[in-house]
Amino acid sequence: MIRYPSFSFVFFIIFIAISLYQIKHFILKREVELAKINKNIMLTKSDINILRAELNYLKRPDRIEKLAIEKLNMRPVLPIDIWNIEDLVSTQTIINNGELL
Amino acid sequence: MPNLRKGKLFVCGFILMASFFTIGYRTVSLAKINKYDETTKVIKNNDTQSYIKKKVVRGDIFDRNKSLLATTIHISSLSINPQNILNRKETISKLKIIFPTINEAIILQKINTKKNHVNLLRIITPKEHIEVLKAGIEGIIVEQKNKRIYPSNSLASHILGNTDIDGKGTAGIEKSFEDKLLNGQDVTLSIHGGVQHILKTVLSEQISKFEAEGGSGIIMDANSGEIYALASLPDYNANNYRETSDIKLFNRATKGIYELGSTLKLITAAVAYESELVKETDLFDVSKPIKISSRTINDFHPLKLAINIPEIIVHSSNIGSAMIAEKIGPDIQLKFLKNLGFFDSVKLEIPEISKPQIITDKKRLSTMTISYGHGISITPVHLATATASIINGGFKSNPSLIKNSSKNNIKKRIFSENTSLKMRSIMRLVVSNKYGTGKKAEAAGYLVGGKTGTADKVKKSGGYFKNKNIVAFTGGFPINKPKFVITIMIDSPKNQKLYGRSTAGYVAAPVIKKIVTRIAPILGINPQNDEALVFTNQLLKYKIRGDEL
Repeated sequence: MIRYPSFSFVFFIIFIAISLYQIKHFILKREVELAKINKNIMLTKSDINILRAELNYLKRPDRIEKLAIEKLNMRPVLPIDIWNIEDLVSTQTIINNGELL
Repeated sequence: MPNLRKGKLFVCGFILMASFFTIGYRTVSLAKINKYDETTKVIKNNDTQSYIKKKVVRGDIFDRNKSLLATTIHISSLSINPQNILNRKETISKLKIIFPTINEAIILQKINTKKNHVNLLRIITPKEHIEVLKAGIEGIIVEQKNKRIYPSNSLASHILGNTDIDGKGTAGIEKSFEDKLLNGQDVTLSIHGGVQHILKTVLSEQISKFEAEGGSGIIMDANSGEIYALASLPDYNANNYRETSDIKLFNRATKGIYELGSTLKLITAAVAYESELVKETDLFDVSKPIKISSRTINDFHPLKLAINIPEIIVHSSNIGSAMIAEKIGPDIQLKFLKNLGFFDSVKLEIPEISKPQIITDKKRLSTMTISYGHGISITPVHLATATASIINGGFKSNPSLIKNSSKNNIKKRIFSENTSLKMRSIMRLVVSNKYGTGKKAEAAGYLVGGKTGTADKVKKSGGYFKNKNIVAFTGGFPINKPKFVITIMIDSPKNQKLYGRSTAGYVAAPVIKKIVTRIAPILGINPQNDEALVFTNQLLKYKIRGDEL
């Protein structure tokens, strides 16, 4: 009467133990994979960060200004370059009339 | 027998229970897959209401356009355990092949020790790392470390500050925002990289031209108080902080206190208008110096006239300013100075700030001298803040180095809109009128307004230098509808024989012209329009008299 359920319990425990071992093994494998992926993410992020820093180093305003002047013959934008033509005419009229203080 | 059977059943039951407990415990422990290290924190994701794991690296610092100003990168450093070295000479020769610049004697000295860990090189490249591994040197240790770097070098070094060898903020924003940065959060400054560069370049050129000891400049949003640029010269490369001299580390804009001379006449005039104790038509006889005990108050350009407030400011008359102050009285004068924040350090987001020094004895002489900027030492940021409060419609300005700071959400009025308009008009006249001391600040296309200030430099031991002065200019543009405040201070300019006088009108005012001309297009401020012309036309009511009368 008691033996069958007892054996069932024992088999059940052995089954669970094996299953748990398999799960553990599977999870450990996944842990290693995850650690590798995390490490790769970290390294890639680090590389991106270094590239970002390099990019910002290369686009420093003083460097860009020097390159723009020396290599591209550019010059800073002056107010006259962006002046609304109508405003420019009316201002000039007042200056010519001697009203501008 | 039944007792024995019961006993067996009890034992079996107990074993079964224990087994299930073990299985249950193990199941739960297996569920805890990830083991966090010290630098990993669980951070709540507000969007998804879930919790995410994040490797915490010190946060970055950006300028207002999201250009990177400070970040942390991973570097490799080289160390060695001398106790694991079999042959010292061979080790050194192997290292010498990979790192040709190392000093063999120093390395030998370092490894001749009983220590288990000796640092050799602070930074090695990934290529060198591989070479070291290939060489198979005994006892060698390659450690991964974090390093704080500043890609823009010296661009905003005084603002950014620095971190120590352990990555802890020691100065500037790095120190003030230590907790936020340590939690991996980024900080976005109000600084505009391009504007900062222009301010630094133009100021630096003028300092070189006049062989000055240094200088500082501030460009600030007149309404929000956000600082677009803040320079202190000489400056330093933020990546070489530890090797920098104290003189270069000193932030003249926020920590240096100076007597900024006649720039403070703006406050005297604004207080006079606001208190209604002086009318715009009131005249002050400035033809004779004022003598108080042993002190005589003179004008740089004496006038044989009785002049009104606008004329006092345009001609920068010390005598006139002193007379206004006497009429206002010390109580009102000090009350307004307090409201403008001249009794406290500026509440800026960096630790390098100073408290002004003001003579508060309320004596007649002190009241008079304070009115034209003597006997009152403030930081250039204090002056910029006060200028903003005068020209922005009269609201107290709270300077900030952080973008979209909530500091100026609550508006506190100091001056009326009417006083502010009058002051803007007078400031424009200082630059546009033929008698104005700031004519060299005139920038084609923009209405610039401001006030010059030249003062003898104060000695640390007390008293004044005879041949050193501080020149300053504070102003705003477009002055008809101010968007930006610019304050410039240059310490001890020379070369007056070559370039005229070493007064603010000659040294500081041209800096304003260059800065406005260059930054206005970048900041999207269009040159003069109809509004500007209306403002210019209303200046005609001011009749500024001069020497010819």
